[in-house]
Amino acid sequence: MAEVELQKVTKMFGALQVIHGVDLTISSGEFVVFVGPSGSGKSTLLRMVSGLETVSDGDVLIDGEDMTFAEPSERGIAMVFQSYALYPHMNVYNNMAFNLRLSRYSKAEAKKLVHDAARILRIEDLLDRSPAELSGGQRQRVAIGRAIVRKPKVFLFDEPLSNLDAALRVQMRLEIERLHRELDATMIYVTHDQVEAMTMADRIVVLDKGSIQQVGTPMELYKRPKNLFVAGFIGSPKMNFFDAKVSSDGSENVHLVANSKTTFKLPNLRLNANDDLTVGVRPEEISVYTSIAEVPDTHIAMTARVDAVERLGNINYGYFNVGAEELVIAQIMGHTDLDHGQQIVFGVPKAELHVFDSAGQSLTAG
Amino acid sequence: MSKKRKGSFSVSRFAVYSMLGFGLIFYGVPLLWLFVAGTRSQVSLFSDPVFTIGTWAQAKETWHDLTSYNDFQILNWAKNSVIYSLGGVSLSLATAIPAGYALAVTEFPGRKSILVLTLIAMITPSQAIVLPIFLELLALGLNNTYLGLILATGFFPFGIYLSYVFFSSSLPKGVMDSARVDGCNRFQLFIHIALPLAKPVIALVAFFSFLANWSNYFLAFVLLSSEKLFNLPLGLTALINSSGALENQAANDIPIRMPEAIQAAIVVVAPVLVVFLMAQRYVRTGMLAGAEKG
Repeated sequence: MAEVELQKVTKMFGALQVIHGVDLTISSGEFVVFVGPSGSGKSTLLRMVSGLETVSDGDVLIDGEDMTFAEPSERGIAMVFQSYALYPHMNVYNNMAFNLRLSRYSKAEAKKLVHDAARILRIEDLLDRSPAELSGGQRQRVAIGRAIVRKPKVFLFDEPLSNLDAALRVQMRLEIERLHRELDATMIYVTHDQVEAMTMADRIVVLDKGSIQQVGTPMELYKRPKNLFVAGFIGSPKMNFFDAKVSSDGSENVHLVANSKTTFKLPNLRLNANDDLTVGVRPEEISVYTSIAEVPDTHIAMTARVDAVERLGNINYGYFNVGAEELVIAQIMGHTDLDHGQQIVFGVPKAELHVFDSAGQSLTAG
Repeated sequence: MSKKRKGSFSVSRFAVYSMLGFGLIFYGVPLLWLFVAGTRSQVSLFSDPVFTIGTWAQAKETWHDLTSYNDFQILNWAKNSVIYSLGGVSLSLATAIPAGYALAVTEFPGRKSILVLTLIAMITPSQAIVLPIFLELLALGLNNTYLGLILATGFFPFGIYLSYVFFSSSLPKGVMDSARVDGCNRFQLFIHIALPLAKPVIALVAFFSFLANWSNYFLAFVLLSSEKLFNLPLGLTALINSSGALENQAANDIPIRMPEAIQAAIVVVAPVLVVFLMAQRYVRTGMLAGAEKG
């Protein structure tokens, strides 16, 4: 258990800056997920915490100690890799005991520690096998076992589940969460999968282009995304966006760019005349109505043509064409009679709108 | 349509098999003849059809003549060859594998120039450097010694290059990272992780080094003048030249004639075949290294 602190951490690859002055404090025992698209710098940031990547500028503190220039083995960390990275020439036991052997533990001690870890991960009967004889899920268990054997202060996971199939991924996700509860250790977890981030994290760090976009609990990020990137990245299916424009008379009236007849008021936001805005709404907030008259005053009414309906049984996704390039996605629970080509009316609740200025910063997140 | 495909298929098949057949015959027949001819007498070699098989007794008699001649000198040469080869292979492995590893996984100033130099050294024919090596060993007083020739053949840039290619393409990066997190320093990384994974390239370098050492003629010819220190290729030449076995001259009383010379050639060739058969599994995987992601 240890706190991890990044202070103005920067990484350059030659002249290319891939991490831009990241400041972040991860408290002891916290499960933090770095999430972002590929190339966002999340893995690089993790590798800088691990010491596998050098830090170009700034400091890395683990448990209050400056570890910026420490070797990976001196940092009290353990890491689980996407490729499992088991030693192919050692059996499972030796894979797990390798670190203990290097740190000169006695044979008996090492044996006890390995067996303890193997019990926690339920891989005791695999100890004699070679990595080549294991399935993907078993390999990842061994890799996690190898990490917990040494009782590290901080666990680092670099996309550990990306190589597993969907069912196994869910199972291992629960396993890692269980491990976090049982070991009460600080864990940093990197993934590009926002579902993993949402389900596992105490706090999520959203990264894009080497900068932190937002840090917060999963629900904070979902409810109050600070900018367009976070709004679009967190949540599945993703948030619907509409281009909008503040009216020229300086009032709070706003109209959609795609359909200037759809006007509504956005009170209590600092709007200037002729400002370009983006308004966003989550698919589950959209309701479908049979006629405009039915849409309540609290909602913005829009007409659309149904482009497609995906029926997943308990849930349906409607894809609506409102004349803009992007289709609007609506989540409809239970049964629906909507069908391709149908003209419909849908309502967007004004209270649930996310409004972003022309720079992409949220005006509603506060 | 299917007929047409079948037709073109058999044409390409024919081309492939005729090429293979040509190769087999062109390169295989002399080798086959060598093994057959070793069992025949001098007279039979001239009078009987090409592929006549001789008798076991004849082969034994020839073998006895060959080995006992001049105080069993051919056995001494064989022993020398083994010493030179073991020494040369060990030295080239001890230098080429770590050198290739260092060039592949570490960054240091001058790395690129060393790689280029290695390539230049690799394509430089040994004839070109034989004089400086000779002078160097002369200065060190190592001419005409086992150590001299072993030191000279331990220089094996091709092995460094092979090892470099293997380590830069086939070493899984995640495994190396993982070992660093587990606490390996650079040396332990090489000993515990890289070396055990490098078996194929070790076998490959050892094989090529053995091949070069076992059949080393020119360097041995320049560096060794004492017949006692000769290796097999050098000895074979000396044997044939001194006995006149391959010259069609009037019979002398030296028991080394054509069948003996043929068996001597088998002694030189056979170990290479045996070593290849033993090493081929490793050698083949070594040659494929990097072709597929590990």
